[in-house]
Amino acid sequence: MAGLETRGLCKGWDFPLLDQLDLSVEEGEFFVVVGPSGAGKTTLLRLIAGLESADAGRIFIGAREVTRIPPYHRRAAMTFESYALYPHLSVFENIASPLRARGERDPSVRRRVTAIAELLQIERLLERKPDEVSGGQKQRAALGRTLAADPEVFLLDEPLSHLDARIRHDLRRQFHTLEALRKTATLYVTHDYTEALSLGDRIAVIGGGGFLQVGSARDIYENPVSVEVARHLGQLEINVHDAELVAQGGQLQARVAGAGDLSFPVAEQHARQLTAASTSAKREVSLAVRPQHIALAGPDAGGVPGVAESFQAFGATGALTVTVGGATFRVLTSPDLDFREGMPVRLAFDTAHFLYFARDGGRNLARGESGDG
Amino acid sequence: MTRAPSRPPPAGRWPLIRALLLAFLAVWLLLTLFPIYWQFITAFKSTGETNLTVPTFWPREWHPENFAAIFFERSNLNALIDSFLIATGNTLASLFLGSLAGYAFARFPRQAGGENLAFWILSNRMFPPVAVLIPLFLLFDSLPWGTDSRLSLIILYLIFNMPLATWLMMVFFRDAPRELEEAAYLDGYTPARAFIKVTLPLVLPGMISVAMLCWIFAWNEYLFANLFVGTEVRTFTIVIPTFSHGSQTLWNLQMAFSLIAMLPPVVMFIALRRYMVRGLSLGVVKG
Repeated sequence: MAGLETRGLCKGWDFPLLDQLDLSVEEGEFFVVVGPSGAGKTTLLRLIAGLESADAGRIFIGAREVTRIPPYHRRAAMTFESYALYPHLSVFENIASPLRARGERDPSVRRRVTAIAELLQIERLLERKPDEVSGGQKQRAALGRTLAADPEVFLLDEPLSHLDARIRHDLRRQFHTLEALRKTATLYVTHDYTEALSLGDRIAVIGGGGFLQVGSARDIYENPVSVEVARHLGQLEINVHDAELVAQGGQLQARVAGAGDLSFPVAEQHARQLTAASTSAKREVSLAVRPQHIALAGPDAGGVPGVAESFQAFGATGALTVTVGGATFRVLTSPDLDFREGMPVRLAFDTAHFLYFARDGGRNLARGESGDG
Repeated sequence: MTRAPSRPPPAGRWPLIRALLLAFLAVWLLLTLFPIYWQFITAFKSTGETNLTVPTFWPREWHPENFAAIFFERSNLNALIDSFLIATGNTLASLFLGSLAGYAFARFPRQAGGENLAFWILSNRMFPPVAVLIPLFLLFDSLPWGTDSRLSLIILYLIFNMPLATWLMMVFFRDAPRELEEAAYLDGYTPARAFIKVTLPLVLPGMISVAMLCWIFAWNEYLFANLFVGTEVRTFTIVIPTFSHGSQTLWNLQMAFSLIAMLPPVVMFIALRRYMVRGLSLGVVKG
């Protein structure tokens, strides 16, 4: 039985935002929706919570249809991106709020709030007001209030977006271990792909009014259905260049447009799918290479010669921009390198990880077997 | 060490401006306080002393019995009670109606008639009240309780106080984040319970200041009270002028009575001062 389901959900204002959205989250599943801001992530949560009414479609929580049920009877708990803690109440009373709404007795409220506060390590802050605690602590208090509600579905709206890196890492780890979240259907929305990939049992990439792709982290990362999905995920934006597929001596080659005679042999598994998809030997595609699938080659290891354009170090990684012919590639490197503009470099491309998309529409032309088409 | 101070005080830099500022404040203070001082000393003077051609700036003899004379007349006390009941009744009604309307304008601007309706309500305060004095008198005269009743003034003052309460409460409700109410819905509170649990505490300081503004207006109102009531019901504002008779004015009694009438608002203001200055922090929701 699905913990949460939507069928044909539509919502729009002056423009359509969500169009015929079908979603199904199993009980105990941690489902992450990732997408750029304005894609309708928060709207989706608000529709499920009952804070907005759908233009069309149906929403089920558990076995119950809740499309017309007001939010206070839906048994959905939500954390707001803004935390939405009650400023005039202590952290204790904030967490206790759902219990008080149900009319629970004082001793049981106290027991439950204390247990939740210990779990979230905020037991020493219970008497403080929300404006007397830090951002991360506010976030935990808001999460505590959600946990106290003991709902049938958790709706988490960018709960980590306002936090600094260390607390974010800490809380992300906590999301993995919170038993309540592991027993109930959880819908988590974020614009941060790292968060999505690390948290989600399943991930949906949202865009253009619906889900572009739903699948495991690995599937979405390695087998994106479209260039849009590929662009959204990954550290440093993926390199995308127009290319031409040419058969040369029984070997399919991808010749990059506007980069002289730069061409790559198409890996065998891709070649099979690309030729199966079309009978013509020559074809216009978009060739995409993730920055981490390009390595720096040693001076005598061959590789493609290029010229360094710029280099940025980001602590744990570095980002090198290289021009090969007329085409620019972003390369993920280690941060402790020293490149100056105009320095010659040699690049080794991992062609097995190349992605081939249709020039119009951006559909992935060579999706691996693990994809569902 | 003869190092010049890095930050000279403004007085050192602009002595003339500072002196002018102080002079201005002194004059202003004098203008503000003099009437109160005059009221105070006159209230203690004898009737003869108030009528001297050359006024005295300090009573030659203190006559605290002026105050006793006010309360000796039972009707004076009744006037204070009537004023109190009218002001309080009107304040409660203004707050209740103004909060409902303000909430609707803040939360449902389209359904509630939009900016135009809200502005129309406010515009009721823009015409000179005297312009509608006679129509209103005729209107109230045809009502079952007539013009000469507490209820007529309680309702009449809504014309002035309810737009004020509506607009101020609308602003306070707009400042109270809607998301907090939504969070309360998800906690399981119905809209009415969410309002009481979350929104009301946030707007309470504002509500108290609105209440004081309404109360003080209704307490001090003279023009309408003078025309509407006078036999069954008398407010203190129409009793005070009755100390003037054709040939002489009992300035000392007038001042004593007005001093007494000043006390309730002053006491209330001091008691509720902290609510008026305390802005409950609404910055908990990050923008």
